[in-house]
Amino acid sequence: MGPELVQGLRYLAAGICMGIGAIGPALGEGRIGASALESMARQPEMANTLLRNMIIADAIAETTGIYSLLVAIMILFVV
Amino acid sequence: MGAVFAIGKDLVLRFRLGPISGALNPASLGTALGLSLLLLGLALWLRRGIPKDPEAPPSRRLLLLVVFLEFVEKQVLGGMPGKLRRSLLPLIATLFLFILACNLSAVIPVPGMVAPTQDLNVTLGLALFVYLLTHLYGIRSKGAFRHIRGYLEPIPVMLPMNLVGDMGRTLSHGFRLFGNILGGAIMVAVVLPVMVNLIVRVFMRLLGDFLGPALASPVILVVGTGAGLLLNGFFGIFSGTIQAVVFTLLAAAYIQVAAE
Repeated sequence: MGPELVQGLRYLAAGICMGIGAIGPALGEGRIGASALESMARQPEMANTLLRNMIIADAIAETTGIYSLLVAIMILFVV
Repeated sequence: MGAVFAIGKDLVLRFRLGPISGALNPASLGTALGLSLLLLGLALWLRRGIPKDPEAPPSRRLLLLVVFLEFVEKQVLGGMPGKLRRSLLPLIATLFLFILACNLSAVIPVPGMVAPTQDLNVTLGLALFVYLLTHLYGIRSKGAFRHIRGYLEPIPVMLPMNLVGDMGRTLSHGFRLFGNILGGAIMVAVVLPVMVNLIVRVFMRLLGDFLGPALASPVILVVGTGAGLLLNGFFGIFSGTIQAVVFTLLAAAYIQVAAE
């Protein structure tokens, strides 16, 4: 395999890694945001607590996306 | 993209002390030290604004301090018992201010300056610091024996799982801040040249015939600056503030879990 092919496969791998890795966090954060908004509409006096818990849950759902970002960066620049 | 990684790669100092070899990034270290000095100056300035006489009418700096601390106490430490909240408030407020300053320094276009939170060493260091604090608060509130016995809950076989969980939690705590800030910086560095290039081509084609090149170039300058402000505003200021809040919220939550 020539070096150009290796470089091209590397770009392809980073793209696939990031693209598939972003699906999970997107679905998870969408669900979290949807249910938080629903609960806020039902009980507006709870909005502050809900917002705080929503941000924590978002941050945790995002973790796998961050991992795939790190793997993509490693594929592109480190390995 | 060159700017982001060139700084990390070109300026790293490698050193060797006997058997230990290490590397140091003066760009992020210097920025972090400068921001610390700036925050220290801010703290001294605010401290001098507090009136000595407690009965005196509150000054503006005192009110600023009160508003900020009340924000942290209500928003970040909201669901905690009062005693723990009061003992955590100065620490969490300091952590929040430092990370916020680090994240916001990404939007200042000084050559050679990088946001310290783009450096994995900084964020992992902060995460390890929070991890040590969870043990400190756990031992202080429950005693060393009960704190260590907490790792054998619910059954002793779960000990490795609990240890791995601790490690994963701390690593993801550090990686989250690092990944978000570095990802934002890469997005700005990659998308901004493309956007500016596109704007220049489109506007030159459309406006060049219509207004003449002399009038078209200021319009392009304004639109390009607007694009830069938009990207930096979203990825630098908005995302940086959210991530600072998230980091401190999670730190407070971890410490609270250990202390209960």
